[in-house]
Amino acid sequence: MTVTEDMNSQAGAERQDTQVPRQPAPADPSRVALKTSRRDFLKSGGMLSLSSLMGTAALMTESDDAQAAIEWAEHFQKNYRLMTPEEKAEARARLERRYSEEYGKKVTVDTTEAQPGVLMGYALNIRKCIGCRRCVHACVAENNQSRGRNRPGEKIEWIQVLRMERGKFEAEKMNHGYPEGLGIQVGGNAYTPVGQVLEGQYHYTPDLVPEKDATYMPIACMQCEKPPCVKVCPVRTTYREPDGVVVIDYNWCIGCRMCMGACPYWARRLNVTNPVLPKEEMNPVTHYLGNRPRMRGVVEKCHWCLQRTRHGRYPACVEACPVGARKFGNLLDPNSEVSLILARKNVFRLKAELNTFPKFFYFYD
Amino acid sequence: MKKLAITALILAASGGVLFAVSAAEKSGAPAQEPAAQAQQAAPSEGKPAESAAPQEVVCFESRKGASEVTQREISPGWPNVKCSPTTGAALWYGDPFDGTVPMGKMPGLENIPEGHALVKPRSQKLAILPMCATACHNGVGPQFTPPTLPKDKKPTPIPTMEGLLPELKEFQHGRGRIWCLDCHHTTQRNKLVDNFGDPIDFDQSQLLCGKCHGDKLRDWRDGIHGKRIGEWASDGKKRWFLCTECHNPHNVQQGERNRGFAQLQPEPPPQTPKGMQGMKHELVHPVAH
Repeated sequence: MTVTEDMNSQAGAERQDTQVPRQPAPADPSRVALKTSRRDFLKSGGMLSLSSLMGTAALMTESDDAQAAIEWAEHFQKNYRLMTPEEKAEARARLERRYSEEYGKKVTVDTTEAQPGVLMGYALNIRKCIGCRRCVHACVAENNQSRGRNRPGEKIEWIQVLRMERGKFEAEKMNHGYPEGLGIQVGGNAYTPVGQVLEGQYHYTPDLVPEKDATYMPIACMQCEKPPCVKVCPVRTTYREPDGVVVIDYNWCIGCRMCMGACPYWARRLNVTNPVLPKEEMNPVTHYLGNRPRMRGVVEKCHWCLQRTRHGRYPACVEACPVGARKFGNLLDPNSEVSLILARKNVFRLKAELNTFPKFFYFYD
Repeated sequence: MKKLAITALILAASGGVLFAVSAAEKSGAPAQEPAAQAQQAAPSEGKPAESAAPQEVVCFESRKGASEVTQREISPGWPNVKCSPTTGAALWYGDPFDGTVPMGKMPGLENIPEGHALVKPRSQKLAILPMCATACHNGVGPQFTPPTLPKDKKPTPIPTMEGLLPELKEFQHGRGRIWCLDCHHTTQRNKLVDNFGDPIDFDQSQLLCGKCHGDKLRDWRDGIHGKRIGEWASDGKKRWFLCTECHNPHNVQQGERNRGFAQLQPEPPPQTPKGMQGMKHELVHPVAH
């Protein structure tokens, strides 16, 4: 048994080894409830007669396995947006109970709504970034991503730091006339545009950063005002919150990956395998739409640490950045850091021509 | 029996050392870099005296040698800081206000509520600072008792500033246009100096740096430049990082492209995508034009 499988089996009854061959759906509905894969469950549920489904309440009361009852209710809960406050409280209590049992510590699942008068915005000083990747790992520590190493797709990181070659200005090339392969230039070929030679490296491993000839560009979810991922989602599990953050209801996600195809910023990740989340590393302060532990087969992405930012704290990546390149604030507050940056600095948005209107701004001094 | 006695002796000795350190801390005397001691002690395992004491994890915050945090549990399963296993950098803050004090008066911060701007005091971190104005730069000069010349003719090494601070050999702040007394007070060496010759505390280094880097001071005050942790609201409670927590004032530019920031060891790269053996193709990417 590998380490990963061991972890999976420890992580609770919900995590089932994928190597086990699929059994035909049993007739006993209580055994159905014990099954772990969402897809299997729905498939077998479809095969079951309607009468057994109608006996849900009876099953929940009769079953001596609390885990099974929780699972059952979880599979049949509504889309988060359609839930009444009572249903939300119920779902929250259910999740808190299950996670606390699973990870052996007191886990809280927050359901705080967006505050009025807040539109979250983010700014990043592209000139300051030294490419140290501390934001990436801070995000993993905060947001309960899968962190296995054995199988591909087990390690999930929401932020990617892109290394690009720097543009140059060479005075001796000032009078080098026209195109020389770069197209029509005005003022000679004194400038080498950034990213002409390298398209970008994500797996750079130098001993020390920043490197002399490199510039770095971190990318994560841009929290677009017109998010393409929301547009394409067939089950409407991903949507934009009133404070501007695009979120996912993991319970309602079917893992179709339409959003991953639609996102122009490569910001979304699919849990291909059962997430590997060691008990001692699990962050017990979670949000329903944020960093609560995910299941296999759902898409996840950056949500600006909703469990923190809805309570006033900076996102984890902002606090980890050693050079202070990352800034976070309220776009509707003229005194916030992001508003001042927009007023004072040179700002651009990534792929602005796509009209997704990101609330993530790159700036430089 | 003998073994027992030895163990007891070692334990007693370590206890004595611990007591001395705590006493020194309480009396306000400078503990000589307890963090560094802990780091040195950490690798040498197997000694009974050290295995008895819980191992301390100390991680540095922005750059190595500037500010450090000692890891401890605030509540069960909730540490005050998480450190990177690769580089030892602080990655995650459970308590952003650990070990901070109010920043004090600073022009332009009148709108920030009292106690909402916090800093980590720097003077405790500076090991030789308390000695500067008492041991060497006390205005007295070298004293010999009795007032005679040294007995032997062999040259004696004199402790210099360069010896104490090796980075001074590469001092290049302002590319040679400034020197020691542009920043350090002439007569009070445990203070910095402002444009009027008045002393500035080491915990208020922004007042000194802003003398030349006024644009950066304005941006720092408004939260555009520099790092802050805590609450994101513009009037929220924040810990402000001081200039010297990120920049080394004696060696600001450590390379050609570092943005005034020392070079660091990066964290490990992401996992290679499914089906890919390595990521060599990134390095040998063809020229696009």
